[in-house]
Amino acid sequence: MAHIEFENVEVIYKTGLKALKGVSLQVPQGQFVVVVGLSGAGKSTLIRTVNNLVAPSTGHVTVAGTNVTAARGQALRRARSDIGMIFQTFNLVKRSSVIRNVLAGRLGDLPAWRGVLGAFPREDLAYAHDCLRRVGIPEKAYVRADALSGGQQQRVGIARALAQRPTVMLADEPVASLDPPTSHAVMSDLKRIAREDGITTLVNLHFIDMARDYADRIIGMRDGLVVFDGTPDEATDAAFEDIYGRPIDDKDLRGV
Amino acid sequence: MSSQDSARPQAARRLKSWGTLAVFAVLILFAFRATKFNLPALFTGAADFFRFFGRMAPDFTALPQIWSPLLQTIQIAYVATVVGSLIAIPLIFLASANTAIDPISMWVARTLLTVLRSIPDLLWAALFVAVLGLGALPGVVALTLFSIGVLAKLGSETVESIDPGPLEALRAVGAGRNRTIVFAVVPQVAATMVSFILYVFEINVRASVVIGFVGAGGIGVLLQRYLNFFDYTGLGALIVVIFLVVLLIDGFSVWARSRLI
Amino acid sequence: MVKTLQTPPTDIPRAPASVRRNRSLLIIGAALLVALFVLALVTMNLPTWSRVLSGLQRNAMPLLRGLVRPETSVFELAWNSMVTTFFMAILGTILGAVLAFPMSFLAAGNLLGGTRWALPGKAVLVAVRTFPEIVLAVIFVAAAGPGPTAGIMAMGIHSIGYLGKVFSDVIEGIDQGPMEAIRAAGGNQLHTFLFAVVPQVLPEFASNVLYRFEINLRSAAVLGMVGAGGIGLPLIQRLQFRRWAEVSMFIIVIVVFIIVVDAISSNIRRRLV
Repeated sequence: MAHIEFENVEVIYKTGLKALKGVSLQVPQGQFVVVVGLSGAGKSTLIRTVNNLVAPSTGHVTVAGTNVTAARGQALRRARSDIGMIFQTFNLVKRSSVIRNVLAGRLGDLPAWRGVLGAFPREDLAYAHDCLRRVGIPEKAYVRADALSGGQQQRVGIARALAQRPTVMLADEPVASLDPPTSHAVMSDLKRIAREDGITTLVNLHFIDMARDYADRIIGMRDGLVVFDGTPDEATDAAFEDIYGRPIDDKDLRGV
Repeated sequence: MSSQDSARPQAARRLKSWGTLAVFAVLILFAFRATKFNLPALFTGAADFFRFFGRMAPDFTALPQIWSPLLQTIQIAYVATVVGSLIAIPLIFLASANTAIDPISMWVARTLLTVLRSIPDLLWAALFVAVLGLGALPGVVALTLFSIGVLAKLGSETVESIDPGPLEALRAVGAGRNRTIVFAVVPQVAATMVSFILYVFEINVRASVVIGFVGAGGIGVLLQRYLNFFDYTGLGALIVVIFLVVLLIDGFSVWARSRLI
Repeated sequence: MVKTLQTPPTDIPRAPASVRRNRSLLIIGAALLVALFVLALVTMNLPTWSRVLSGLQRNAMPLLRGLVRPETSVFELAWNSMVTTFFMAILGTILGAVLAFPMSFLAAGNLLGGTRWALPGKAVLVAVRTFPEIVLAVIFVAAAGPGPTAGIMAMGIHSIGYLGKVFSDVIEGIDQGPMEAIRAAGGNQLHTFLFAVVPQVLPEFASNVLYRFEINLRSAAVLGMVGAGGIGLPLIQRLQFRRWAEVSMFIIVIVVFIIVVDAISSNIRRRLV
């Protein structure tokens, strides 16, 4: 059984916009998948159906055998605690320290009272510091989150997701607001960690060269449908032009 | 840009400002009639008023009587602020759209808070004096309820204006509502909330001075007594003391609030 | 079910001194606040539980009964008094704004050539702000006779304290650019004032006057309790006679009126700034 299964997922927003028009996919455990497509193609919506931040109108998504779409309340929180997510705008709590941001990743696994009182067990505190070490910024633990550079903040985001001990990682345009060298650094960190821990990863990117550099598998979306599903080798320029529905230009490449 | 294009919006603007002025003038006219505002009396009254001030040369021999009610005034304000803040905090989160539990409880909380805020503090005091009798207790209860109303409005506006990003991130982590509030909302609003609480304390001290007029304890009782007995020099001394205390508390509040930002 | 970690605890690095200091300061501060609170409660001369309960028994039930069944016959009286109160607040606020306007220039540092020249002006404003409005009302009642006039004057004078401060704050916060531009183009003080200062401050002035009006409406409702006109007097008479059903009607009128006025005022204010 695949680790993540999309079963004919459709998403229709209240405005009537059909963001996803019947997507069926299977992602095996440990695969590093990059989803490409123009803005509005449905990439963001697709990965948000995995942790049900966006609820499908029809169809469902299964993660490790659990129907995430049908889950509610405690069961949904349970499922989400195994799915880590990093965001384009990092979504850190700016005024809190870095370590406190990372500890937030433990909130899904601990009893509610511990979270509310901030009474984290020693093991969790140590693990949070460990996660920071793995992303390479252990010395920043007690610094205020907004005092960090963009690349460092995204690393904190990754550390927070890691702290959940996830089996799945979702990344929504994680490097869009970073410069080229930093983007590559963050992406390679992400890939390394995913491989070390065997985490099934779905990443949204709109840079063609980065997709080819890091993906095990590329999924191309256009207008809410999957129009390409193959390896980086198969993702030729012609294939991309088909995904985008237009010729590629410089803006689609990250560079170095 | 042709003159025709700019003429229309210009005309509309002029109409709006003349219109507003007209509405204003009508309102004032009605106001004069309804209140029978006696403008000449204003001037004779002003003369009398200054005469009163002349009589209020402070007589500080009355000072020893003042301390105890003064202390009670501050105690009332302090207790009301603390209790009011504690009660207001969960209500704020219930009433804010981004931290509410469900639409019904949010609506109930909002309505409750609006009503609390719309009753003048002195009216609360008079109401509770009628129910609980004279003394400090009705004053504390009244100002507590009033504080909840004021604080909740300020707090809920702040909570609703925070960055929603961290909230989404914590939903994705699988954290429940309360944990999300503690980790994602509180750090963003804490400094501002403390600033508001200090502001409410300021207001409560001023209100607390006055509620004695309706029997709710504090220095207002003395105020009323001096007025009733025409003890203007004592009144003058009292007002000077009040002035100094409020000045002190305002100064402290401003200093503390500047340290927070 | 909860996922606990079974990793061997690696070193937890010690928090830097500043963080530890802040944590201890926070704890000490909180302890102090709690101590003061307990102290205040204990020394405040609160009545015993039995007295409170007996008072509640005597009054709470009739009050609640009255609250759920307001006396509709007094609605007209309540409404008319509230309308008078409304107009009192309007005139009081306008009076205050008119008087505060010139005062604010005397308290604005950037117009007088330095903050220290503005200090006497600011001090006067603080003094006026601190003088309890209700005492002002009583004095005016003695001077001008009972009725709305006394209340209007009390509110007017008291509002100067607030509006003057707010106005002067706004003036001190304005952009110097337009002022300099006009002076450079050869304009004198008056020109500078009219074309550089006024347009910048008018919207915020207006917004603050409206806010002050909201507060004055509440004050106006209570100043009547000392005879300064408005709904306060009939209300407190009924309170003292424990006519709960009528009190309830009055309170409903007051609350609804204030809620509506607040809503309209907030709406206008939002469009101004």
